[in-house]
Amino acid sequence: MIEIKNVTKKYPNITAVDHINFEVKDGEVVGFLGPNGAGKSTTMNMITGFIEPTEGQIIVNGFDIAKKPKKAKKQIGYMPEGTPLYTELTVKEFVNYMAELKEVKAKQRKEMVKRILSEVGLENVQNKIIRNLSRGYKQRVSMAGALVGDPAVIILDEPTVGLDPKQITEIRTLIKELGKKHTVILSSHILSEVSQICERVVIINHGKIVAIDTPENLENKTKEKNTILVTVEDPKENMKNLQEQVAEISEVKFLKDNEDGTKQYAISSSGEIDLRKKLFEVLPKQEITIFELKKSESTLEDAFIKLIDTTSSQTVEEPVKDKATIKAEKKEEKAKAKEEKAKEKQAKKEENKKKGGDK
Amino acid sequence: MLAVFKKELKSYFLSPIGYVAIGLFLLVFSLFFYLTTIYQRAIDMGNLYFNTARYGLLVIVPIITMRMFAEERKNGTEQLLLTSPKSITGIVFGKLVAAIALIAITLIISLMYYVILCFFQAPNIVPVLVMILGFLLLSIAAISLGMFASSITENQVISAIITIVFLVIPWFLPNFGEGFEIIDLMSSYQKFPAGVISIQEVVRLVSFAAVFILITIMIMQRRKSVK
Repeated sequence: MIEIKNVTKKYPNITAVDHINFEVKDGEVVGFLGPNGAGKSTTMNMITGFIEPTEGQIIVNGFDIAKKPKKAKKQIGYMPEGTPLYTELTVKEFVNYMAELKEVKAKQRKEMVKRILSEVGLENVQNKIIRNLSRGYKQRVSMAGALVGDPAVIILDEPTVGLDPKQITEIRTLIKELGKKHTVILSSHILSEVSQICERVVIINHGKIVAIDTPENLENKTKEKNTILVTVEDPKENMKNLQEQVAEISEVKFLKDNEDGTKQYAISSSGEIDLRKKLFEVLPKQEITIFELKKSESTLEDAFIKLIDTTSSQTVEEPVKDKATIKAEKKEEKAKAKEEKAKEKQAKKEENKKKGGDK
Repeated sequence: MLAVFKKELKSYFLSPIGYVAIGLFLLVFSLFFYLTTIYQRAIDMGNLYFNTARYGLLVIVPIITMRMFAEERKNGTEQLLLTSPKSITGIVFGKLVAAIALIAITLIISLMYYVILCFFQAPNIVPVLVMILGFLLLSIAAISLGMFASSITENQVISAIITIVFLVIPWFLPNFGEGFEIIDLMSSYQKFPAGVISIQEVVRLVSFAAVFILITIMIMQRRKSVK
């Protein structure tokens, strides 16, 4: 459906998108995830043909956006970031204009506009001027603009930004509905949203793709150990010896002192062993009272932060390291050269002495 | 093109801009109608159109053109336009024709001065129509210039200032000596007010407009790779 091949976007001082490759299949709902400034919007703008990539190829439903822009653009419904709208028009006029821009035939237009307005729940405000609408409604109008013309692909750039919780859930269910009929790409920096709506997640940071996977797999990938959090009262400090008592424990880590005198530890085990039962049996024997015991669950949130952190530390620290090492290397080289010179001099001197002695 | 044209023309009248432009335009017309015709006890309409062109367009054209692309860029609605299947040429012409239509509406209303004169002594209608035709060509050239100014900035004020400066500079041309008349639009509106269609003037106005329309299209197309 959508193929993105080796796409790069360079600006004078920055590479916003750096050789990314991915594919979106028919009928898939894909989430585009990344911190602010990661290159999400740039990528979306390139898919929709609003900006041109410096390098690479984008194919939408079989049409290259650079070579056959008209046909490719007909496949796409785009809701840009910040929901730009012609605020002087009424809702109905706006959606009708978008239908005209998308070259919907005059015969079908009236019916289609009516259908889409009811689909996104705008029937009540259809004759109101957009300027006077609330933010949630504006978002819907923008979405209606993307939906009109029944495009095969719908691209939504941060569709839930600035909405209240009720509106967010409404928009989410709307997007889920859309996923049944269209291919949907949406961007967000909110993880829970993406994991709820999307079948696949593309995580992007510093213009590079960090991971592409289903939300579940991403969670599992970053879950390396089984960790259990326990809050205990431990007057005799027996927790230190716990590892000797239970062989399965790989690490006991002290986390914090609570105000009521209890302490929190993180106990991890290797593999799939669930320590909870064992801990309930062992700890009381050690005169340790359990206040709380729970499994620490890694969420998509953790996965995201982990992935972003590793990539950003790589990209940020590398050049610094390089400079430092280069300097050190240069120093070493200089010192070595000096030593060698000194050695040579000494050798010469000794040779001269020897020669002198020989004479 | 038709979709953009209809929406743009509608937008002119949904905001005060359309009414302000037409109102101001008619005010300038009426002023010169009094000064050049009534006050002089003449029935010649050439001076009326010439002076309105010289002083009226200076104000009206920037008002009409400043928002054309600058506003879309600032509000981000440019994204809606440029990601639609419409061609850039179609979009540019849609906007251009809408602006021209606004001036054409005013020119049609300006026929009322002819009607007023008819009560006294009917002037020949043909030269009047020639004057209006020339005025329209002149407006197209000026609007193309304003459209170009609007396509290079996202600030409407800057776009308006560029247009005004370009239209005012020719007033000082006599001080610069020969050879600069080419940028003076009014030098191509000398024979029309006399009711004469001069091929030279037509060609100059049309080519002036064509150059700026072309540059605007090129700028809009280039923006894809520059942004």
